[in-house]
Amino acid sequence: MFVRGSIAIFALMATLSLTTGAACAFDATRYPDWSGQWRRPAGVGTQWDQTKRSGLAQQAPLTPQYQARLEASVADQARGGQGDDARVSCITAGMPRIMTGTRPFELVVLPAITYVYGEGNMPRRIYTDGRDFPKNDEPSYMGYSIGNWIDENQDGKYDVLEVETRNFKGPRTYENSGILLHQDNQSIIKERFYLDKANPDLLHIEITSTDHALTRPWTVVKTFRREQNVQWAEYDCAESNNHVAIGKEYYFLSADGYLMPTRKDQPPPDPRYFKTGK
Amino acid sequence: MFHRRSIGALVSMGAVLMTLAGAQAFDETRYPDWSGQWKKPPGIGNQWDQTKRAGRAQQAPLNAEYQAIFEASLADQAAGGQGEDIRITCVSTGLPRMMTAVRPFEFVVTPNVTYINSENNQPRRIYTDGRAFPKDEEPTWPGYSIGKWLDTDNDGHFDTLEVETRNFKGPRVFEATGIPLHKDNQTVVKERITLDKASPDILRYEITTIDNALTRPWVVMKTFHRERDVLWYELECGENNNHVVVGKDFYFLSADGYLMPTRRDQSPPDTRYFKTSK
Repeated sequence: MFVRGSIAIFALMATLSLTTGAACAFDATRYPDWSGQWRRPAGVGTQWDQTKRSGLAQQAPLTPQYQARLEASVADQARGGQGDDARVSCITAGMPRIMTGTRPFELVVLPAITYVYGEGNMPRRIYTDGRDFPKNDEPSYMGYSIGNWIDENQDGKYDVLEVETRNFKGPRTYENSGILLHQDNQSIIKERFYLDKANPDLLHIEITSTDHALTRPWTVVKTFRREQNVQWAEYDCAESNNHVAIGKEYYFLSADGYLMPTRKDQPPPDPRYFKTGK
Repeated sequence: MFHRRSIGALVSMGAVLMTLAGAQAFDETRYPDWSGQWKKPPGIGNQWDQTKRAGRAQQAPLNAEYQAIFEASLADQAAGGQGEDIRITCVSTGLPRMMTAVRPFEFVVTPNVTYINSENNQPRRIYTDGRAFPKDEEPTWPGYSIGKWLDTDNDGHFDTLEVETRNFKGPRVFEATGIPLHKDNQTVVKERITLDKASPDILRYEITTIDNALTRPWVVMKTFHRERDVLWYELECGENNNHVVVGKDFYFLSADGYLMPTRRDQSPPDTRYFKTSK
């Protein structure tokens, strides 16, 4: 993981454009300045609701079935397992978890699309060209995001981006304690992006998850602070990943390159397909 | 791996912008339309030089030391190993190999940065704001890219993006057969990107690699075809990756979740850190 210099105030993240296809004129002055790099505030971890500790303290409004899953996940992690968190395999966390902003992210605002570039993730696309959700798209961890710009205070400039995301696959969790979304993957995630009215270097993202693992929609408001002197790190999850998944078992790689158990009395992998055993 | 619809002719990938900060006027009509999705032509594989077959047929101008490393890679792969190719770990291939475009890619052209988003890599940033290479950056797999727009026919419109990339880490190879770049990572990669003069739906992508593993700069011309009816896939390298690396040994996961050897008479992993053996 390494650092690279990038653009500062004049960066183009919040830049606005005209398509060279020249099919639509675009008024650059109507859009908010979201340039720079957005980071979690100091002292905030990677929990879902930034105002609470992770795990059971999140008080996720889970159904009894999914509350039991969370408790089992937390118990498994206490024993050295991964619980319901599959992130150690470096598969994307998907939505909504990627908006935790574990690593810094950038917003590139264009007329038909807003990109969310988070370190360690593929680009997330939020389409703002007025399209509908496609009827035959295959599901993804990120889902399919459609956004709508809003001029809330009617001053002629957009200040809020509302986004709805559907069409997921899973499993997905809110955070690494393993708070699960429902395995039917029928989640609907609604977001509202806006700058703090008193401090334009604070971004608020209100995220409402509607999901069958919940007894009611779960709304959290996340806050990110703007870094103007931008440096980007190259975060490659697979690099130096010392977790090894074999079947349903997780192991750890020792510094000297040998498999290690991740929990007490864990047996080694079954060598049935080898002619010889060590 | 799944796909998702994206924007067609009106998309913003080729869009050119004005900064909201207002510090720079920006004439969007000066930039070429590189919108859409770029793919390898039909029938072209993942070899480095598209005009030759992979492996020795590439006739890479390697020096004797690196030709021997390459020959050993081919021999190891023939025996079931991975040779010099570590892509199965899902670590980024870095430059120049990522521009093989195993998966489709798009350009997001903005005044200060051109982003290259591809389905199987994190976004690549090419800075076009006139900056110099930073002196204290840490090396990365894709390196640090600085670009310059050219108006080669003096018609008032940019038609070519020249890019120079330095400051790499490794190991990196040109293609899956394991044609290596030098372990000193002093590679310099120069790219010249332009549309075909006769067909604006064909991209000409000249890549020159200067590297101490080579006896001379290695120039290849890649061609990509534009897809205007864009579909994006979510490619998660870590998903369904059946390769397992333990120390310096590569194994395979069977369909029923057990480790399998990848070469004849391969031993199972050393289980010295486990109390019990199966």
